[in-house]
Amino acid sequence: METNAILGPVAALALWSMVIWVWMYATRLPAMRRAKIDVAKIVGGTGQNLETVLPPEVQWKAHNYNHLMEQPTIFYAVALALAIGGMGGGLNTQLAWAYVGLRIVHSLIQVTVNRVMWRFGVFALASLALLALCVHAFMGFVLH
Amino acid sequence: MPESLLAPGAVLALWTLIMLGWVAATRFSAMSKAGVDLKAAPPGGRGVDLENVLPPAINWKSHNYTHLLEQPTVFYAVIVFLHLSGGSTDLTRALAWAYVVLRIVHSFWQATVNRIPVRFAIFGLSTFCLFALAVLAVIATLG
Repeated sequence: METNAILGPVAALALWSMVIWVWMYATRLPAMRRAKIDVAKIVGGTGQNLETVLPPEVQWKAHNYNHLMEQPTIFYAVALALAIGGMGGGLNTQLAWAYVGLRIVHSLIQVTVNRVMWRFGVFALASLALLALCVHAFMGFVLH
Repeated sequence: MPESLLAPGAVLALWTLIMLGWVAATRFSAMSKAGVDLKAAPPGGRGVDLENVLPPAINWKSHNYTHLLEQPTVFYAVIVFLHLSGGSTDLTRALAWAYVVLRIVHSFWQATVNRIPVRFAIFGLSTFCLFALAVLAVIATLG
């Protein structure tokens, strides 16, 4: 069994995060120009200050980028631990691909139609895949 | 006690999802009490939009889940560095377990009583453990 196979979905989700980063700036910078925001004169401030200034659909890209820096950090940690512990193949790799696939669908929903129920359903499914990975890591490292 | 330095990391990752379960278990009944219908939610709604809508004690669970996705990311990175660079010792294992136990206590406190001085003290202690681990990780990886 290829125990490092789980690093494939890990790399895919990291790359996807950067795709969303590009999507965020590709829409945010023109929207800032339209809103007549002169970045050269701004001191301090964070992306959150744009929350009520830019159109919601533009901010949705930033919301999703931020979300990708939240729960997936647990995914990266657990996937790395599983790979190091020789458990990064087989079912765990399939669960990891399921997590990454669902997070990509979640991103596409959030940055486009952003229907809350759809997003919630996909998030819940992804969380279940991650929960299975966490339980496997717990069994492998703590109970073994 | 399990041998691997990654064991406390596995516990904290699992704990984070248990907190997510606690969020879900309390948030949905509070939403129906507050008359919030998820199906009728306008596009783009997020958890933070519930901040002044649901009772504070409900949102405390969510605050803690969010916190578990902040500083612990440094913890996961540091224990992996230590594990991969021969820095897994009795001392680092004890510090890592202490960090995880303190974070779980921190979660219970924030999700229930949530008095700030106590939360701050627990957070301070756990950060001290992480600080020591980070220093040892720098020594292990450079040495």
